[in-house]
Amino acid sequence: MSEAIVRLESINKWFGKLHVLRNVNLEIFPREVLVLIGPSGSGKSTLLRTINMLEEPTEGRVFFEGQELTDIHTNLNAARTRMGMVFQSFNLFPHRTVTGNITLALEKVLGLKGEEAQQRALEQLKHVGLADKAGAWPSQLSGGQQQRVAIARALAMHPVVMLFDEVTSALDPELVNEVLLVMQRLAAEGMTMVVVTHEMGFAREVGTRLIFMDQGVILEEGPPREVFANPRQERTKSFLSQIL
Amino acid sequence: MTITAAPQAPPERGIRYFAAQQTPWSWVTLGIGILALVVLFAGTVAILNAYGWTQVCPPDAPQGTCAPTDPLTEGLLSPELGALAWAVIGIGAVAGLLALLRARIVPNKQAKEAAIAGAVIGIQAAVLAGVLLWFRSAGVELFARNFLNIRLLGDFFPRFVNGAKNTLILSFLGGGLGMILGLFLALFSMSKRPVVRAPARIYINFFRGTPLIWQLSFAGLGVVTAMKLDFFSGIDGPYRVAVAVLALNLAAYSAEVYRAGIQSLERGQMEAARSLGLSYLQAMRFVVVPQAIRRVIPPLTNEFVILIKDTSLVVVLGLAFSQKELLGVGREIYSSTFNATAWLGSAAGYLIITLPMIRLVTYLERKLRSGLTSVVG
Ligand SMILES: Nc1ncnc2c1ncn2[C@@H]1O[C@H](COP(=O)(O)OP(=O)(O)OP(=O)(O)O)[C@@H](O)[C@H]1O
Ligand SMILES: [Mg+2]
Repeated sequence: MSEAIVRLESINKWFGKLHVLRNVNLEIFPREVLVLIGPSGSGKSTLLRTINMLEEPTEGRVFFEGQELTDIHTNLNAARTRMGMVFQSFNLFPHRTVTGNITLALEKVLGLKGEEAQQRALEQLKHVGLADKAGAWPSQLSGGQQQRVAIARALAMHPVVMLFDEVTSALDPELVNEVLLVMQRLAAEGMTMVVVTHEMGFAREVGTRLIFMDQGVILEEGPPREVFANPRQERTKSFLSQIL
Repeated sequence: MTITAAPQAPPERGIRYFAAQQTPWSWVTLGIGILALVVLFAGTVAILNAYGWTQVCPPDAPQGTCAPTDPLTEGLLSPELGALAWAVIGIGAVAGLLALLRARIVPNKQAKEAAIAGAVIGIQAAVLAGVLLWFRSAGVELFARNFLNIRLLGDFFPRFVNGAKNTLILSFLGGGLGMILGLFLALFSMSKRPVVRAPARIYINFFRGTPLIWQLSFAGLGVVTAMKLDFFSGIDGPYRVAVAVLALNLAAYSAEVYRAGIQSLERGQMEAARSLGLSYLQAMRFVVVPQAIRRVIPPLTNEFVILIKDTSLVVVLGLAFSQKELLGVGREIYSSTFNATAWLGSAAGYLIITLPMIRLVTYLERKLRSGLTSVVG
């Protein structure tokens, strides 16, 4: 197997006295679609956010493309341009147009010229099927469209890994599919993805590896179909029986 | 059978509907109430006008025999005005009685509202007329002479204009500098590093915790007298001290406003920006602050209105003659003429400046409540 893009070594995280991640080790390889599931409060979001250091682990080391992010000499901003993240609540910038949302980091971080940034923004909007919304304000879009813009915004940076945190949880049921379809196509194109989700259909069909977390510990891991068919742990079994 | 419910326009509920719902009685009640108020104001102005507001006293008039306000005093004490006041009380009482007697038998809500409005307006007019009668029974002559010498306001009008100009200069210079400084203070006061945060907090608490008049006095004494800084000395010195202290003071207040605005943004905005590789400062500059600014415009304008009034405290600095602001001008005219009408001139000046600003705050608040995009787009 090739070199891991992301490696987490003995990660421990406390919020105050609350032990949220307990000695987690994890490697993520190119072209993987890693799906994270588990009950609410089990630490999935915290684990995901540790990968791009939005949460700093209390103990342990985070590596990205061979570089240690937990080393204080590392330029985190530069590393983050190569990791895209999409949030449950979209987090589009309401004071900028759809295009303005995408070009901000292209211009201010990557230093692209205005024309070039616009070009790249439009390219990504086409990719998520929203080229006609380029000049719209975020508040004029439906939840599903906003989330697709958020995905386009992350993809425009040309990241090597994409992190998704329950990106369909805030959507009305009829809008979930349009977002999942974009993610499915992204996976088919070979993007490395880490996906926290409650969409078990997506996990089964698109995921290449499934991780079940509970109380800050990775309890079970394997190909999604296998885990769904025969969970080895009691806790996985009861979680799956509740959710499926 | 099909059940259809095609959308319909809402029923008309404007002024025409209101009028159509009235009964003769409700019309009469409303009319009498309004009549009382109109008679009171129009009648008073007409009577006072007939007697005259001011007069010019000959320079050789013996002491105490002629005052500029004598015609006004005469008008106020005239039997015509007394009769008018009693008449208004009568009309107002009629409106109130009518409403009371007919209240139970009005046919609908609109008619009831009209009758109540008529009664309330009538009673308000009657009360004002009562105050006028009471006022006539007191020392009208002395009051008119000291507080209602309108000629004085006319004579000193250019001075008041100059005072208003200085009030505006102090407000806009102090306010502008203070709001810029306040933004940086706010950013420092939210730092996760205690060594950055602590000085900002101490500054803010000091300036919010001590009276502005103390700050001005202390700066005026300490800086101008003791420290002999060139910039703050000389004829323009006190004026510069005033601007500087007003700015430093407003910085503390606006910093708290900015902080509240920034903290009211969802955490996700900062996180989304950082996840794209923007540095903390870039995220602040391009994502957080532009959004926060829109939210803090109404409370910041509010602080500005307070600052306009607080510029009056610079009287403690002893500004030069041409540099005096509205209150200083009023105070000086008072001390040279011993006539308190000058104070009214100052108040009028402040109201002319602040009332539009207060309207602006209300307008901005309403506009901002209708959503962020209406301001952006
Ligand atoms: N910033 C924070 N400060 C304090 N506690 C936190 C913070 N963020 C998360 N927690 C706590 O850490 C635990 C794990 O949170 P996390 O968001 O990672 O769970 P999750 O698995 O993503 O849950 P969910 O499915 O509800 O999103 C929870 O108990 C949560 O309350
Ligand atoms: Mg979560």
